[in-house]
Amino acid sequence: MNGRKDGGVAERRGFLRALGLGTAAAAAAVAPAAAQRSDSVPAGQARKESAAERVAARYRETDHVRAFYRTNRY
Amino acid sequence: MARMKFLCDAERCIECNACVTACKNEHQVPWGINRRRVVTLNDGRPGERSISMACMHCTDAPCAAVCPVACFYTTADHVVLHDKDLCIGCGYCFYACPFGAPQYPRVGNFGGRGKMDKCTYCAGGPQQDNSHAEYLQYGSNRLAEGKLPLCAEMCSTKALLAGDGEIIATIYRERVQQRGYGSGAWGWRTAYKEVPQV
Repeated sequence: MNGRKDGGVAERRGFLRALGLGTAAAAAAVAPAAAQRSDSVPAGQARKESAAERVAARYRETDHVRAFYRTNRY
Repeated sequence: MARMKFLCDAERCIECNACVTACKNEHQVPWGINRRRVVTLNDGRPGERSISMACMHCTDAPCAAVCPVACFYTTADHVVLHDKDLCIGCGYCFYACPFGAPQYPRVGNFGGRGKMDKCTYCAGGPQQDNSHAEYLQYGSNRLAEGKLPLCAEMCSTKALLAGDGEIIATIYRERVQQRGYGSGAWGWRTAYKEVPQV
């Protein structure tokens, strides 16, 4: 009886320990994401363009753009 | 070379703010920042006009002129962009811009503003095109995808025009001729002190 009771307590504590560890793991996983702000990126992810690339023209008159111009004439 | 411009037809804008919402959603713009805003003059009175405003990508951009760290640059398409890794959040560009385009994400302890954020003409920034880093810092890069800014593309009344300045000016001129009355270009009389003859 006594042994079973102790076993139940141990089981319950085990569950709480697992819950605590899980919470800590989840917090650790979330922390880097929360640290990412919209105005900075982790150094590993940064891939800067060269001076020539960054001022290069991006605009192209694609079918998509031509459709925009056409529908704006209505 | 095409010169990218925005042009808002004040006769058509119905102040629905869909351009504002679309911009915020497309670029996951941080809390407290609106890269685009709808301004209404004479609200509720005869002659009420609304106009959608964002960075005008000035030819001689005052924000770039006052920046102490030279974080601004102009692309070959005449889009004014900035490098958030260089920005020190001093706020000079905010004071210099006549349109209130530069915004700051935070007002924290000791007045920390964070890095400046503004309309990128959906052209991203100095990170590689359509990379995750570019999206995190500047939002999506629709221009590199062969598209135009989302605010203009989804405008329900076609009030907001974007694209090659020559083409959208022609579209606007056709509209004015069809209407049969003055250009209605917002700010025209302020700038030129006369009614334009079209």
